[in-house]
Amino acid sequence: MRPDLPAIHEIWVYLSGSPLLALILTLAAYQIGVVIYERTQLNPLANPVLIAVTLITLALAALDMPYATYFEGAQFVHFLLGTATVSLAVPIYKGLPSLRGRLLPLSAALLGGGATSIVSAVLLARLFGADETIVGGLYAKSLTAPIAMGVAERIDASPTLTAVFTVSTGILGAALGRFVLDAVRCREWWQRGFAIGVAAHGIGTSRAFSVHPEAGAYAGLAMGLHGVIGAIVIPWAVSTLR
Amino acid sequence: MIDGLVRILVFQGIGEVIAKFAVPLVPGPVMGLVLLLAYLAWRGGVPDGVELVSAAFMRYLGVLFVPAAVGVVLFWPHLQRQALAIAIALVGSVVATVAVAALAAKLLSRSGSDAP
Repeated sequence: MRPDLPAIHEIWVYLSGSPLLALILTLAAYQIGVVIYERTQLNPLANPVLIAVTLITLALAALDMPYATYFEGAQFVHFLLGTATVSLAVPIYKGLPSLRGRLLPLSAALLGGGATSIVSAVLLARLFGADETIVGGLYAKSLTAPIAMGVAERIDASPTLTAVFTVSTGILGAALGRFVLDAVRCREWWQRGFAIGVAAHGIGTSRAFSVHPEAGAYAGLAMGLHGVIGAIVIPWAVSTLR
Repeated sequence: MIDGLVRILVFQGIGEVIAKFAVPLVPGPVMGLVLLLAYLAWRGGVPDGVELVSAAFMRYLGVLFVPAAVGVVLFWPHLQRQALAIAIALVGSVVATVAVAALAAKLLSRSGSDAP
């Protein structure tokens, strides 16, 4: 059989064994996602992560490449999650002066929103018959994704499901947030931004920035603070209540 | 830029070590974040290199969780079976979270935010 194999097959064998293919696939799919996102005037439904995941899933099916093989190459991108988490300190540090004079309403929004996020998601999922694998993935879904996945590892939940639920939550929050804020008659930009940031982390924050700079700044601050406090409180709460 | 990356990686490393040996419940990178935050506050500003690296990460944060999210293929049958429960939980929870956070901020600032 061997002498008949065309050269292209050998190239393929070589490429699929190296991390390069998975890296190219990941970055190219994300780049396509970014272009589409920008073309649609930053519509949250055209989220670059969602587009990239869809494209890569289709590509893996077409190439008949198992997820484990893909991840072996893509783990170089994955590894940077921790480093990105540490560098979140910079936007948090720069946002801290915005807390001045508004510490009470913002802490209440953060703690109330954070608790509501977990309790409502877990109760609704259980009520409608979701199993514990799914419920585990919901605990950290309002935290920014790199932190959410770190928390998932600490509470024995699936980081993958957590990432997917986190991105979905961000998209839903960015798309629906405006209507909820109007319904509860919240009009101040700083309050609107902060509420979106608590619920819908980075995706909500970029949406808030596209609407109003003050809303964006407060959304980013909410995302950072929720990430830090959630990462400390959620693993502790889950392990105590279990 | 390299000096910024080195500082951030050092904080990540210290954070991972503290998390591993002292506070196993907190993810190591979050511990690193808190330490870097304390460092920035103590220093009273953000060094240029750290600023540059952080800005790059924030701009392309999304691509970093793509590899893990693609793992959703492994859960596909599982997710399909429970799609309704998941959809209700995600939509219901995000609406409730935005509403509670907005109301908390609104009601509490009405009583106390007029002070300078």
